[in-house]
Amino acid sequence: METSFADLPQLQSFVIPAVVLFVATAVAFFLLTGVYIKRKDAGRLDDTELYLDCAYFCEIGKRPSQQDSLYISPLSDYRKYGITAIVADGMGGMEYGGEISKKVVDFVEGMCPMSFFASEQNADSIRKLSNELYEEYHLSGGSTLAMVHIAGNYLNYYSVGDSDIILVREDVPTILNPRQNYMALLIKSLCRNNKQTQSAYTNSKSRSLIDFMGNQNPRVIYTKKPIRIFDGDKIIVSSDGLTDAVSLRNMTHYMRDSASSTASELKRAVASRKRPKQDNYTAIVFTVKRSFL
Amino acid sequence: MIENYILMHKGGQEEYRDNIFVNYSSSLTMAMLYLPLESEFSVTDEASVAALVQGSSKMRFIDLSESIYPILTNLRNYMLIRIDDKHIEIERHGKVFAYIVQNGELKMLPNGMTSLEDGDRLICCTGEFMRCLNDIAILSDAVIADSAEEWMDNLVCRISDRNRLSEGNLTAVTMIVRSGD
Repeated sequence: METSFADLPQLQSFVIPAVVLFVATAVAFFLLTGVYIKRKDAGRLDDTELYLDCAYFCEIGKRPSQQDSLYISPLSDYRKYGITAIVADGMGGMEYGGEISKKVVDFVEGMCPMSFFASEQNADSIRKLSNELYEEYHLSGGSTLAMVHIAGNYLNYYSVGDSDIILVREDVPTILNPRQNYMALLIKSLCRNNKQTQSAYTNSKSRSLIDFMGNQNPRVIYTKKPIRIFDGDKIIVSSDGLTDAVSLRNMTHYMRDSASSTASELKRAVASRKRPKQDNYTAIVFTVKRSFL
Repeated sequence: MIENYILMHKGGQEEYRDNIFVNYSSSLTMAMLYLPLESEFSVTDEASVAALVQGSSKMRFIDLSESIYPILTNLRNYMLIRIDDKHIEIERHGKVFAYIVQNGELKMLPNGMTSLEDGDRLICCTGEFMRCLNDIAILSDAVIADSAEEWMDNLVCRISDRNRLSEGNLTAVTMIVRSGD
């Protein structure tokens, strides 16, 4: 006796939902992977869907006081104005380092929201602040400034002194901003004379800053054109307390998917070094991710 | 006008062996030769290249290229460049590189002609110069620099941090297009 499918209601009630479920899963899978592949193919041209994840730490190290300061503009303003993040490192051994670094970040907070496209004017405002600090403190204190402004898929940065702005792309960390110290002048001079530069690194004054906030008319380094950022990039704005303890070469060991995990790992790495004269160490970490939705 | 800065540093070597020949006329014509230690290049040939570049003002780029090719055919690493504030023409052979900063990225220039705009920043360099750098470093130093010289100084600091300028010859040219000047 032959039995048709229609004659098997129990089998029918099991198979039909299973087939529907299978087809729906397959369609969803192909749609999603199709979208993903399309985005991957579009690669770096797809502009619209990056988002940032942010975390920070600000630790005192072995110093008697905290002279680093930081500020991060509200993430809720990101879509409209982008995000601004600054670390200012009060110059050690000077009376008003901490006070000046606080004034620097307070000033930047007052500048926010700042125009992404007016980097020259923003740099000029920072220079004017430095002149005001010079008038007030007469070089009895100073601070560095390392600041990023991220909007859309682009990054502008501003720098005075020797704090670091690090971009980690494809597991390769690169310090973006040049350090404004005496060593850079020595290297330039030796290079002009066709010489090697070992002596620049052994000079006892090589790490002395030639520009800082609180100096008169400091050179404010800023991006004349923004730098493109991509999915997977990590941006770290830090005082030299971090980069003196964790070398750039080793930094990739502490990179994680999320900003908070990366910040935790970096903080732990500095603490684990147990350096007897550990400086204040501060960092703001951003991870750049592509939104899937 | 093309603002440019040329670096010719002997590094840790006894002598500077790479070379750059430049002709400044309405456009800038340049031949960059990269001679790693194993390469040989005779003084006579070098003089011939120099003479060709010097006399190239009214020569088409392709004619210059064809004239120079027989002299440099054994020298695997060299580049010819002709640039004005509208275009750059490039012919690269071997481990020499040319990049342009565009839309916040550093892009390698292809052989042939590329259009330029006011403010464009370009770098041509040898493999030895490039060895201690990466794209992000070159890009970052380009976008903060006020001048071609400052851009080069910052790149040299990065190379110095890696090897104290104690290895091979360092040869590079940074350029900024200044159409308004």
